[in-house]
Amino acid sequence: MDVLIVMCFGILAGRFLVPNRAKKENEFISLACTFLLILSMGATLGKDQNFMSNLSSLGLSSLLFFFIPTVLSILIVYVLTKKFMEKRDNSQEK
Amino acid sequence: MIVLVMILALILGLFYGMSGAELPPLNAIIENKDIVLYVLMFSVGISIGMQKGIFSKIKEYHVKIFIIPIGVIIGSILGGFICSLILKMPIGYGTAIASGLGWYSLAGVTLSELATAEIGSIAFMSNLMREMFSFMIIPFLAIHFNHYTCIAPAGATSEDTTLPIILKYTNEETVVLSVFNGVICSFMVPILISFFINIM
Repeated sequence: MDVLIVMCFGILAGRFLVPNRAKKENEFISLACTFLLILSMGATLGKDQNFMSNLSSLGLSSLLFFFIPTVLSILIVYVLTKKFMEKRDNSQEK
Repeated sequence: MIVLVMILALILGLFYGMSGAELPPLNAIIENKDIVLYVLMFSVGISIGMQKGIFSKIKEYHVKIFIIPIGVIIGSILGGFICSLILKMPIGYGTAIASGLGWYSLAGVTLSELATAEIGSIAFMSNLMREMFSFMIIPFLAIHFNHYTCIAPAGATSEDTTLPIILKYTNEETVVLSVFNGVICSFMVPILISFFINIM
């Protein structure tokens, strides 16, 4: 919940306080934080004695968690846009 | 390029953890990663707040603009649900992993905090695979499906990293929808992860 509150403050800051010229600096901050968090996550995993032995099973699970949600997203978005958004294009042409 | 930097960060972290070395600045970051996460979320909020054109486009498309993010979210969560059944994992964890919607960094770090390092690692790797797969599948989807569907695999990344490839293979209208989808999905990722972890 704290994370969401912080993000909402960020949205307000981006909308009303931060100038557009600071976009690149903001992107750099995001990138640097992401780098540090992933580094920290890697270090936590590396310190875990069981991690390397679990890596093969995590790899297969990750593959499954990538494949099924992505394919279902593609199929559902295709069906929904075919039914609702392509009609919008046709009605505009008429 | 960004993907490579993040993989490098993960590998460096793994080596550091396995080596047993103790570097005080790095240990300080590991101990205070909550603060780093707050800074990241504030920065992400600024990025969303800066997309001023988004608000006028919403009026033009009316409620239909939500069709793509709704489809992405439903497909991903349904997929996470099916995966958790296949892997006999708690449904809250499975749906939380899929709620990353391709945002591998946030999903990985958030779930390693809220759940376990293993769940965080699966979230990181699966969402990273989703982003890399998006680069390869978008040209195929543009030809064989429709332009709107190109946004689906990209999920939350459709406003930044995968946007250039969507622009290359679709049109400006799809790019606006892509940015909007990315903003909505990015906003929803922390909400969905918190929700599914809390229903455990």
